[in-house]
Amino acid sequence: MAQEKLLSGCAAAAQAAKLAEVEVVCSYPIRPYTAIMMELVRMIHNGELDAEFVHGEGEHSQLSVVLGASACGARAYTGSAGVGVTYAGELYSPMAGGRYPIQMAIADRTLDPPGDFGSEHTDAMTFRDQGWLMGWASTPQEVFDNTLINYRVGEDQRVMLPQMVCQDGYFISHIPDKVIVAEPEQVKEFLPPYKAPHPLSLTCPVSHGPQIRPDQGAPMDAQRAAVFLEVPKVIQEAVEDYNRIFGRNYDPFVETYMMDDAEIAFFVQGAHATTCKSAIRNLRNQGVKAGLVRPRWVRPWPTTQLAEALSRVKAVGCVETSTSYGGAMRGGNLIHEVRASLYDLPNRPLVTSFMGGLGGEVILLDDFYYMAKVLTQMVKAKKTDKHVYWIGFEEE
Amino acid sequence: MSTIKVPKDREVPFGAVTPAPVTSQELFITSNWRIVRPVLDREKCALCFQCVMSCPDSCWSFNEEKEEVEWNWRYCKGCQICINECAAEALSAVPELDFPDGVVRLEKPF
Amino acid sequence: MQAFDYKKQTLEPIKSLRSAPREEMYLPGHRTCSGCGPALNYRLVAKAAGRDTIFIGPTGCMYVANSSYLCTPYAVSWIHAQITNGGGVASGIEAAYKVLARRKKYDGPFPNIIVMAGDGGSVDIGLQSMSAMMYRGHDVLFICYDNESYANTGIQTSPTTPYGANTTFTPPGKLVPEGKTLFPKDPPQLVIGGHPLVKYVATTVVSRPLDLMNKVRKALNVDGPTFLHMLAPCPKGWKFDEKLTLEMGRLAVETGMWSLYEWENGEYKYTHIPKKYKPVSEYMKYQGRFSHLKAEHIAKMQAFVDEKIQKVKAIAVEAAVPTPKAGA
Repeated sequence: MAQEKLLSGCAAAAQAAKLAEVEVVCSYPIRPYTAIMMELVRMIHNGELDAEFVHGEGEHSQLSVVLGASACGARAYTGSAGVGVTYAGELYSPMAGGRYPIQMAIADRTLDPPGDFGSEHTDAMTFRDQGWLMGWASTPQEVFDNTLINYRVGEDQRVMLPQMVCQDGYFISHIPDKVIVAEPEQVKEFLPPYKAPHPLSLTCPVSHGPQIRPDQGAPMDAQRAAVFLEVPKVIQEAVEDYNRIFGRNYDPFVETYMMDDAEIAFFVQGAHATTCKSAIRNLRNQGVKAGLVRPRWVRPWPTTQLAEALSRVKAVGCVETSTSYGGAMRGGNLIHEVRASLYDLPNRPLVTSFMGGLGGEVILLDDFYYMAKVLTQMVKAKKTDKHVYWIGFEEE
Repeated sequence: MSTIKVPKDREVPFGAVTPAPVTSQELFITSNWRIVRPVLDREKCALCFQCVMSCPDSCWSFNEEKEEVEWNWRYCKGCQICINECAAEALSAVPELDFPDGVVRLEKPF
Repeated sequence: MQAFDYKKQTLEPIKSLRSAPREEMYLPGHRTCSGCGPALNYRLVAKAAGRDTIFIGPTGCMYVANSSYLCTPYAVSWIHAQITNGGGVASGIEAAYKVLARRKKYDGPFPNIIVMAGDGGSVDIGLQSMSAMMYRGHDVLFICYDNESYANTGIQTSPTTPYGANTTFTPPGKLVPEGKTLFPKDPPQLVIGGHPLVKYVATTVVSRPLDLMNKVRKALNVDGPTFLHMLAPCPKGWKFDEKLTLEMGRLAVETGMWSLYEWENGEYKYTHIPKKYKPVSEYMKYQGRFSHLKAEHIAKMQAFVDEKIQKVKAIAVEAAVPTPKAGA
């Protein structure tokens, strides 16, 4: 009987990794993801999980170790946060292009300078073009579920890609919430063992990654891009299976909340969506027809699903918890991809963005009411005055 | 959204993983690098195996039945290490163009 | 996490060049320079290690030149690593084989896991990764093939480039007549100095192939991390006639520029100590990278080598051609 426990996001990730029977884990401490590794090694040292726990000497090393392990056919797991994510940067492309389906648990954190332990999505978002699967959970339960779903999708023979399973630092990683921890039998039914297509073997020798010429590099890139055309189908299958076996109700790509008759919509990724839902309920009581669309994936970006979900609203406000200095809108990076997704719609909504939760700040209910006011004014004026509003710094 | 089709003759193997070669890597013939080739005077050869063990390209191998060392025409780069190392002075450097099968007569470099 | 008995192989000593294995695991058909010292090292290592081997190849000459293009000369499994992480990738491979064997997903022999890293990939950009692997005690042989430069990028200085060498980052000029003013790091000493789980470190030279192959086998037989420092003369980088690759190795030993020794469980054994050392100029005169040096610079090099020689003489225990011991 699946147990309900009170777990933080970090603890939930560790429980899921244990049920996934990860085989090689490489650790390195950095706030706020460290607890995932502390939990895992406790389980390993107590004999609850048979895995090699390798003490990496840095985040770059963590990724290196799990790359080698995955190349031999072992299910590998690692994680990081903030500048740890950027330090490992060299390895993201080799991991994805080499098709090693490791999983990296990221409890996000603002980047230096200077040190700031608070949550921001910038760390992982910076690497969204490297060819990994990537998405944010909004509750510890979703962290648990995404861990298993990502191994299933990433290790699928049609995909074979590494995954970044992200959660908001502190808001999710440290605050406990109800998590239904699955039974091993359920996991066994959902997640087949990892089978590397060409492992480093003694009996069937292979060479992983010889040097290539530029004219061989172009098809390499094209083939990597082509995999992402297949991924949505695999995600659909996996999440439908997951819902059936574990009794959940996830939309595979985007979560929609009160969108049926919404006139304005919030586009929020991660933990702040929970606050947003409260705000929406209150706004509804005051007659504001607001709704929420929450992407469960950044990569592959749910382009068609987003366009469908937002096609009937009049204005969209992207809540940006990451930065894109010098970007087209001079704000965050979600707005660029949202506008791109909506561009071809015959009656595309107005789109603006709100920089909120940066540095690890909380986004208050009042902030969402302010955003709703801005969006309502946009609808009335039938145009977007500004594309970026900095929450807390605007004159109200 | 988009379709991506790489022509078959330009496809790169999955994850850039290639099979291991078995006796030599024929995709990289290096015979046309040399301007001299080592010629062996079998009378002088003491079968010390020094040439066998000093070639970076494994171009000298030992034929067990014939009890003699054999030279690999297809890969020798003409570095002359073997000639320099041979204690019996059984090896000498002869210009490649002196030979009817000299590699400059290959149609394609590799 | 638990210790368990995984099926390690024991490699027997090779008694003569003639009785060395015939099989090549590093095959002809690679884009290395004519007369390449590192390539010859690779070939001898692969020959000694045999078929049950996995190589890790950090970026460098022995990656790029060997694997151009989309093909490799390795008859055994091999994986490219970044120049930064040879030790890390090898650690992951070792951990994977251990857990797969323990969980009964793999029941073959435990592979010889060998990193073939250049000097940069060992003690410069790769130092952290190498040291961490040594500290963690993975059963891996880390080999530094030392051609004393970043050769693949066109000969730039590295921490093992000798004093006075002309490289494209240490060119001689009016203000810096010797070109390179720094003296090199000592890779085996870095490893010996502070890694408690390392039991065996040795140096080799390409002009003594039997010694080289036996040291490889001995290192592979030892449980835990081991380190070999291999002198790999580079005709292009050192600017000498390519037929002299082995001669450069011999002269390096004869002049004291290169010490040939084993360190095992705290004890040094020298493979060969010249009765009378030749002056360093005998070695340097063949190499274009030193041709700009004046007498005072060569004297400085001689003083550095003389100090090294004194240290050798202080410890010196000379041992016959080593035969690898089975097991730990």
